[in-house]
Amino acid sequence: MKNEGKRYALAIDSRKCINCKACVVACRAENHVPLGHSRNWINEEHRGSWPKLFASFEPEQCHHCANPSCVRVCPTGASYQRADGIVMINEDECIGCRYCIVACPYGARFFREDTGVVEKCTLCAHRVDRGEAPACVETCPSKARIFGDLFDENGPLQQVLSTREHRVSKPQTGNSPQIYYLF
Amino acid sequence: MHEFEWGFLIVNYLFLGGLSAGLFFVSALASWLQQREDSDYSAIARAGALLAPWPVALGSLLLIFDLGNWWRFYKLFLHFRWQSPMSIGSWLLVVFTGIAFANCWAWVPADVKRTLLARVKLPEAWAGFPVNARILAAIGFPMSIGVAIYTGVLLGAVQARPFWNTNLVAQMFLFSALSSGCAALLIALSLRRQQLDSIQLRFLYTIDVCLISLEFFIVLPYLIHGELSVEAVRQSLALVLGGPYTVAFWVFFLGIGLLLPLAIEVWELAPAVFSGGSLHHNRRLTVLTAALVVFGGYMLRYIFVYAGQSSSFH
Repeated sequence: MKNEGKRYALAIDSRKCINCKACVVACRAENHVPLGHSRNWINEEHRGSWPKLFASFEPEQCHHCANPSCVRVCPTGASYQRADGIVMINEDECIGCRYCIVACPYGARFFREDTGVVEKCTLCAHRVDRGEAPACVETCPSKARIFGDLFDENGPLQQVLSTREHRVSKPQTGNSPQIYYLF
Repeated sequence: MHEFEWGFLIVNYLFLGGLSAGLFFVSALASWLQQREDSDYSAIARAGALLAPWPVALGSLLLIFDLGNWWRFYKLFLHFRWQSPMSIGSWLLVVFTGIAFANCWAWVPADVKRTLLARVKLPEAWAGFPVNARILAAIGFPMSIGVAIYTGVLLGAVQARPFWNTNLVAQMFLFSALSSGCAALLIALSLRRQQLDSIQLRFLYTIDVCLISLEFFIVLPYLIHGELSVEAVRQSLALVLGGPYTVAFWVFFLGIGLLLPLAIEVWELAPAVFSGGSLHHNRRLTVLTAALVVFGGYMLRYIFVYAGQSSSFH
């Protein structure tokens, strides 16, 4: 692995998630996401009946895959990946064919009827470029989200990934997703 | 998330694009097989050439109007992205449609050409263009195969949708497209006042029986291998093996859209092939059979576009 540059990613400790949805609200406010759509969401799972109960909350959004199928299928190059790993959409180049939405294994993209283009999580690239954390990470009250640079050996992300068991979602699609869920 | 990002416009486009590819394919074959200008095959070549460009032109318009920003469609042609089947497909479509229109013009009778040119006040010299329709047919032939295959590759290239993500989809779409075109020619030629002669009927039926058989032998391994594949693929196949698309698949596509017309066409051909007799020459039956083939081709696109988008990894 090249040690130069940066590779931004997210680790999520879903055991800390309390399903308050502050991340969803913060994202909506930060990125002016229209009502009816969300760039991030929380998967809920409930099993069993009282008193043997199980519930899990797993926040999800664009996985900023290392091998993103949305970028590959885009016919105009509107979907692209920055050198630091963030997958972006150039809204001026997007023609609204929605091939990327069909190609995303995570359902992370949506079509905006008002603008006619596709939208998704940018990992708050505008904040990251200012040296800040994404809005969802900053707002999370239970600190379930850890944002950082994978190349930074002493950074918060590597510290948690080198000491905790973790998995990624649907690795079998070959997209190499970059949201790490901690066990 | 909306479950269906691609709807009926895309189904219609995939069908119309394939139909044009099939029309051109059969027309080009006939054009190379014809011996003289007035031979039996030239009627097929002419009808195919005259019809071929229109469905794909209409389909491309549907495709453009399906875009979120339809006026930005020109951006497709500011880029060539070889990893995107849609990018390759748009270029293929433009080249193929251009050749199909040139080939169509080449088959318009000279006097009609002159009348048309005079009416829109264009130079009469254009009637002489293009010189050789057979060369156009030869150039367009691989293009037509490309267009027919790419409609399947467009879907097959999506790893996130297990229902699509197999090489068999491209082949299924290819043979389905070519046989739809062949069937459309059977309809068009049967509707003329002049009866189709045995050589023409036999030519079209033979091609169609081959194409439908190939398609059937691809649908079979698609189902068998899917069932023997990983969990996600088996789950996606449940959409047609006991799910919302079961009736559409087994009754409307495989039954009356594929096997029934195949049986009728084999019955039509059998006396000519095995006992040297003549074809049954039932005009109504020919039109009905061919209409079933075209319908089956449409159903295939419908089922794949919708069922594919419902399939995913869990």
